[in-house]
Amino acid sequence: MAEKIQVQMSMYDKLQILSDAAKYDVACTSSGVDRKGDGTGMGNCRASGLCHSFSADGRCICLLKILFTNECIYDCKYCINRSSNDVVRTSFTPEEVCTLTMEFYRRNYIEGLFLSSGILKSPNYTMELIYATLYRLRKVCNFQGYIHVKAIPGTDAELLGRVGFLADRMSVNLELPTAEGLRLLAPHKNRKNILAPMRLIQNRMVENKQEIVLYKNAPRFVPAGQSTQMIVGATPETDYQILNVAESLYQKFGLKRVFYSAFVAVNEDTALPARTGEGPPLLREHRLYQADWLLRYYRFEARELLDEEHPNFNIFLDPKCNWALKHLEQFPVEVNRADYNMLLRVPGIGVKSAQRIVKARKMGNLKFDDLKKMGVVLKRALYFLTCGGRMMYHTRLDEDYITRNLLNTKEKLPDSVSGMTYRQLSLFDDMNYTDSQTAQIL
Amino acid sequence: MKKVYICNDTITGIFSAIYDAWKESRDKEAGIELRGKLDTQLFCEYTEVVEEERKAAAVEKLIQKHLGYNTYWDIYHALLSEHPKKAEAVFHVMQTARTVGNSKKVMDHLSNPDVALVFELSRKAANEAHQFMEFIRFRELEHGILFSEITPKNRILTCIGDHFTDRFPLEDWMVYDKTHQEFLVHCAKHPWILVSGECLNREEAEKISKAEAEFERLWKGFFQSISIKERENPICQRTHLPIHFRQDMTEFC
Repeated sequence: MAEKIQVQMSMYDKLQILSDAAKYDVACTSSGVDRKGDGTGMGNCRASGLCHSFSADGRCICLLKILFTNECIYDCKYCINRSSNDVVRTSFTPEEVCTLTMEFYRRNYIEGLFLSSGILKSPNYTMELIYATLYRLRKVCNFQGYIHVKAIPGTDAELLGRVGFLADRMSVNLELPTAEGLRLLAPHKNRKNILAPMRLIQNRMVENKQEIVLYKNAPRFVPAGQSTQMIVGATPETDYQILNVAESLYQKFGLKRVFYSAFVAVNEDTALPARTGEGPPLLREHRLYQADWLLRYYRFEARELLDEEHPNFNIFLDPKCNWALKHLEQFPVEVNRADYNMLLRVPGIGVKSAQRIVKARKMGNLKFDDLKKMGVVLKRALYFLTCGGRMMYHTRLDEDYITRNLLNTKEKLPDSVSGMTYRQLSLFDDMNYTDSQTAQIL
Repeated sequence: MKKVYICNDTITGIFSAIYDAWKESRDKEAGIELRGKLDTQLFCEYTEVVEEERKAAAVEKLIQKHLGYNTYWDIYHALLSEHPKKAEAVFHVMQTARTVGNSKKVMDHLSNPDVALVFELSRKAANEAHQFMEFIRFRELEHGILFSEITPKNRILTCIGDHFTDRFPLEDWMVYDKTHQEFLVHCAKHPWILVSGECLNREEAEKISKAEAEFERLWKGFFQSISIKERENPICQRTHLPIHFRQDMTEFC
């Protein structure tokens, strides 16, 4: 490395640079661990998590999200801190990170620390610095709040093990959904290297569960589990591929969360998609999160939502509505008899309302009025439900008809109620576009 | 004639009124009105309630024993609100509980208007308390005391006391409720206390410590730099963090 000119930088400038560089990391959650303070230091954790503020982009700020350093030996094409970029480089010291965390936490600005880092010299060297920071924070400052730390691929297992006992959550970034994309955009990283620490953390967590059964006071290893994130829209993967990757991560690696990050163009590079002026693919990201919820809480499988022929989500309808419209033979569902799993699959019924329905129907027959009180979104659900054998209104179980009504969800009532059973003739057939067609038009 | 009990708008006051009402007219129609929020009606007999800790403790025990802890939780939170009919609604809920099969499930009878009101008030107060756990900002005063001012709609100070006591056991901190002129005070290693009837010394409260201004600047800077410009979305921000809270938050001042 060429000789560097070291300038003493103020804390303010460092924080600006290193938080600005960390903002593309998606995960800012403080949930998953319930811990009371022990009365000798500062901090506690709540399982539900707390959000302390919301930035101008509407994302929650609950952790002090910073990089330890933005110096990096790698040259990933999508990253603002890649080694070939000419940006101001700086690093915190462990002491500085501790001071910032403790003072921000005292003022109730934050719920804890989110520490990520560029790679300084080598993965092990950087991880050792992060360990030193966490050690100081936990043992010297006696901090009992939330800590989320990034595990750097290529670090020794022993070191990762030590860090895991100090952190609440660890995450390894998958970066891109497929090994192919990774080879293209992150030449210094490979899929195997990324999955290795993930597996390691998973195994260590399983062992730790057994230790805790034996010894109640055994130290907890990553009690809030691990998560990962991948960039959407930088490489040509389809939603189907991405969702399959997420599903296998949940099943095979026991992850708590997979985060999706709409690709924000910060670098000019031939390997990256050209800047279009449309901004990041936020709708696509939103649809992926919706589908992610369906996988985790609604007992769906990736191959039910998408397949080879329809590899991308409908931009007009959410994944659950889309699924229901393609499987009309399973509807309408009788509220008073259908099993829990089937209720979950009805558009407009969420986990909470499905649980309430199952509980409440033991006391008596449910009517549409009761469903409304329970929080069922009837404007979507009414096409798919019967109560005591009757639909709410005189609606048809017809894909085209329901699609048309669902797209006008601003109107609460279906057309047939207000008297309009015909459809406005239009020059453009705007209902039956496939994704690729709309993509062409847009 | 319908009896109406008049009491102070405090938990002790309202519980004392419920104590009297329960003793004398639990089988009859009766009302509870709050001093200062009274609208007098014809054909009512008004009685002033003598406020006593003993009565409040008895009612608390009564509710917890017969209606269960969850109902007590809802009733307590409902009474923290500013609704003029809250005390009466709670009394009616207690009366309703005697007529339903399982008194501990009285809060499930949402079709009853009194139950619905108590439920709604309780949910609002509890939600606000949760939001203030998140959005309270402390500033460090000269003597190292952490001080915070908030403008809540409900009297939520008692709901956040345990949370911050557990979180900052070694700190001296104080939260001032500007709407209701109440203080939540915590001395290091002691349990929190609620102080009312005192005035805030504005001058003392403005004397911040040396380090404070710099940390506020750092936080404001962080708040700006963490946002992604390409994704800006003020409506989303406002949904999660309503304007109402921002008046007391460091990053918006």
